[in-house]
Amino acid sequence: MNALATFGRFGWFVADVVAASLRHPLPWRRTIEEAWRIGVRSLPILVTISFFVGTNLALQGYAAFAPMGGQALLGMFVALAGVRELAPIMVAAMVAAKAGTEMASQIAVMRIREQIDALEVMAVDPLWFLITPRALGIVLVLPALTVVSIFTVIASSALVAVVQLGEPGVPFLQRVWATTSGLDLLVCSVKAAAFGTLICLVSCYFGYTSKPGPAGVGSATNAAVVVSAVACAILNYFISELAYG
Amino acid sequence: MSAPTPDAIIRLEHVHKRFGDLVVLDDVSLRIPTGATTTIIGPSGTGKSVLLKHIVGLMRPDAGAVWVGDVDMATASEADKFQVRKRFGMLFQDGALFDDLSAGDNVAFPLVHHTRMSADERRAVAEAKLAMVELEGVYDRPTAALSGGQRKRVGLARAIVLEPEVVLFDEPTSGLDPMTSATIDALIGQLKRRLGLTFVVITHDIVSAVGISDRIGMLYGGKLVAWGPTADVVRSTEPIVRAFLERNLVWAPDGRASLPHADRLLEGAAAEALKGPQPR
Repeated sequence: MNALATFGRFGWFVADVVAASLRHPLPWRRTIEEAWRIGVRSLPILVTISFFVGTNLALQGYAAFAPMGGQALLGMFVALAGVRELAPIMVAAMVAAKAGTEMASQIAVMRIREQIDALEVMAVDPLWFLITPRALGIVLVLPALTVVSIFTVIASSALVAVVQLGEPGVPFLQRVWATTSGLDLLVCSVKAAAFGTLICLVSCYFGYTSKPGPAGVGSATNAAVVVSAVACAILNYFISELAYG
Repeated sequence: MSAPTPDAIIRLEHVHKRFGDLVVLDDVSLRIPTGATTTIIGPSGTGKSVLLKHIVGLMRPDAGAVWVGDVDMATASEADKFQVRKRFGMLFQDGALFDDLSAGDNVAFPLVHHTRMSADERRAVAEAKLAMVELEGVYDRPTAALSGGQRKRVGLARAIVLEPEVVLFDEPTSGLDPMTSATIDALIGQLKRRLGLTFVVITHDIVSAVGISDRIGMLYGGKLVAWGPTADVVRSTEPIVRAFLERNLVWAPDGRASLPHADRLLEGAAAEALKGPQPR
């Protein structure tokens, strides 16, 4: 019942954010700043995680297929698992953990320090000022981060396949290329944009409605990352079902 | 319900507010006169800040009306409330400054959003307002490097930067030492004389209230238990009012009152009231 009420309040919050965004001019400068901040700050950790996910995909795929003489399927396995499924949800989880928690805690602190009230009293719409640029920024940057993650996964898995496992490189990449279509990249981009929007709105909602005190900030941040991750996992299934089901 | 008369820029009519079982405002009605300094006093937790939030439309009453000019903030749309808020400046309890902006950029913030001034013009205006609150040379200083008193003064400069009709103060001297509190009181008095604006102050600091106010209202248990010119409230015989005042005012054997901090500012009728005999 409590979760249902929270879901209802979240719905109203999203409607208010949309209305506020339409009422005022788009804050392009702050949007670019947010996109740059989220993108650049997330890039090193994203590349590191993607690299090692790629290496493990190659190792696990080889371990599964080699006993049956199916090493040649390694490229297809990496393309299916890494490109179609893992990259977008991995980027989402990483952005939820990094940018999402930052958004939730920043906005929660602004709430308890009365800075959001101050914006309202100064006749500056806090939803438009705080949330619109963050939402647009993350939507702009997440597809790009997903593409970076995809190429890192492919590169690192190819590296392990060729250098460590002794597989021929060109057939591996040809398998990846043959299995991956333009639709995959489109679906990944759609997923990334949807996850980005969801992470931003969920994180900002919990920050915006934070209870007073340090405990309130902690709870808001915790709720933001947990709910974002779960919501992205569920959304991931439905988008995959629509695209490939 | 009717719109306010010209002599009262803000009027509360039978305002009720409760949070769960807790009644915070219980049938509160008052008229805040234009061009005067009105202070709402009372112990912590009696609804003073809630009252202020009703005036600026950050909260809606459960019942009653909150008139600002000809707009009832209790029923106004968000768009109308935003228009009304352009007539307000507000000093928040801890300044509510934005940490990622310098002191000066905090002051210039409303100019960015509500004027077409160039960056140079905004800087000039913000520096002039900082000078008005006796805080020169801090424009580029990060807010983290400001003391509590300086943060309040930057917040005050921001509150007056758009030259509003009404300036609201939420506990302007809370958390400050007596000397800094005296400086803030003096500053409020100076700004009042210089700008002639309507000031609404929320405080539990009776010394400060007596020093700066033309009128005082006292909230207790959600009710307005005292309301009138400062001199009258200071001399009120209401037991609750007396109990609150006498914990703060020092009465000499000859019946004259004094304040615990001699350096605190006292002006006009309030100072005169304190020279009179102690109420019996």
